[in-house]
Amino acid sequence: MSINWIGLYTMVRREVKRTLRVVVQTLVAPVISATLYIFIFGTVIGTQISAVAGVPYINFVFPGILMLAVINASFSSASSALYFMRFTRGIEEILIAPFSYLEMLFGLVGSAVMRALMVSFLILAVGVLFGAVSLLHPVLFVGYVASIAAIFAILGIIVALWAESFEQLQVMNTFVITPLTYLGGIFYSITFLPAVAVTLTKLNPFFYFADGIRFSMIGVSEASGLVGAGVIITLLIGLGILIVQLFKRGWKIRS
Amino acid sequence: MWYASGMTVLPMLEIKELVKIYGSGANAKTAVAGISLTIPRGSFFGLLGPNGAGKSTIIQCVTGITQPTAGQILVDGTDVVKEYKKARTKVGLSPQEFNVDIFSTPVELMDYMGGYYGIPKEQRQTKIEELIARFDLEAHRDLKFQKLSGGLKRRAMLGRALIHTPDLLILDEPTAGVDVEQRRDLWAYLKELNEQGKTIILTSHYLEEVQYLCKDIAIITAGKIVAEGTKEDFVTKEGSLETAYLKIIEASKTKTV
Repeated sequence: MSINWIGLYTMVRREVKRTLRVVVQTLVAPVISATLYIFIFGTVIGTQISAVAGVPYINFVFPGILMLAVINASFSSASSALYFMRFTRGIEEILIAPFSYLEMLFGLVGSAVMRALMVSFLILAVGVLFGAVSLLHPVLFVGYVASIAAIFAILGIIVALWAESFEQLQVMNTFVITPLTYLGGIFYSITFLPAVAVTLTKLNPFFYFADGIRFSMIGVSEASGLVGAGVIITLLIGLGILIVQLFKRGWKIRS
Repeated sequence: MWYASGMTVLPMLEIKELVKIYGSGANAKTAVAGISLTIPRGSFFGLLGPNGAGKSTIIQCVTGITQPTAGQILVDGTDVVKEYKKARTKVGLSPQEFNVDIFSTPVELMDYMGGYYGIPKEQRQTKIEELIARFDLEAHRDLKFQKLSGGLKRRAMLGRALIHTPDLLILDEPTAGVDVEQRRDLWAYLKELNEQGKTIILTSHYLEEVQYLCKDIAIITAGKIVAEGTKEDFVTKEGSLETAYLKIIEASKTKTV
């Protein structure tokens, strides 16, 4: 059978509607957080710090701030949507519909990516207001944001399948995503770090995520673009295959 | 196979040696123990049995909510496991439990479900209007599902099940919590649908409902079919379906003991 395009569009449309239904939580809150980051790092601390990698501090950290919001939006969209569908048995609407396992993956990930893109464009607008934004490679920027959002949407799906309580839904965010994000060089250049820490940072995939977005925005990069692209593509394919297999087995969604 | 005028007519549903076991090892529980069933096209089929007999599990295996442990299910000749995408388009389900986003309205529920089935927007909207009118949901079309009464919820679920005009309609306790007047109205609509050629499978604890609507009946206990036949087979023998049903269930208990 051919690809169920209308079904996929409907999944994304439904998530956009859900996002707008709780707009304060989904769009306003991340924009306020990003605005505070931009104000503190740009106006308060940034003016006391000399240029980093040849650019003003706020320009250096802005891509990381944006990435933080993208990751949170995508992860929470996918994890909460799927967890609630499991909880209310709304997932059965998807299971009885003519979706292949790959289409289920694309529908759920596409929905989360859409929310992440909405958040990222709003934060870009705030960045423009504060003069913290440049966008040297817009196509690359959208590509990086969408790919990173997709990775965290897939992680959100895994957590939503695994979790048996609301508390478990937060476990990965608290113990994996937040530490790796903050240690991934979003607020500092790795040139500030001792050699061992540089090596460790380069083992952290989040470093390549922030570096890619930063390069697409201000043209500054501290990592190999090829390695970064390789990390992102490998994670996307690897995690994607894992989810399709889990859907095929029906893990936690089919009894 | 069913034959008419020399042509092969596939049954609407064929279940062959279906087994469903939940869990494994010491925790394994057999919900369906090797059931075979053939439901011809155009039938109004009643699936009866006490709670936990395996009726909902069979329905879940047919619709893809549950994976069968063994056996084969064909909907209009299409294997629900091997060709699951195609098979899904042929089946509409109104489940026993309200498996919906409670913040969605009846119109949204039908719209999303129609979209999932790949129905283009204009066609979908026409069908939604038809179903909203048929189920008398006009005044409630934009109310959140959680605000609807039990009867209205059931009607919204039925609308959702019919949005893609399925060949096979499965109704798992469709009138639970529905008042008498609305139930009669629903019966009339289901009869009308069946007369138009739609195959319907109904599970219900209201035996008068099954007696009124169904042509063929199977009774299941402990994951096995213990009786199967036309409605007349049951009613003629015992006077009413309820009497026949109670006798069969009692006899199956005695056998088990």
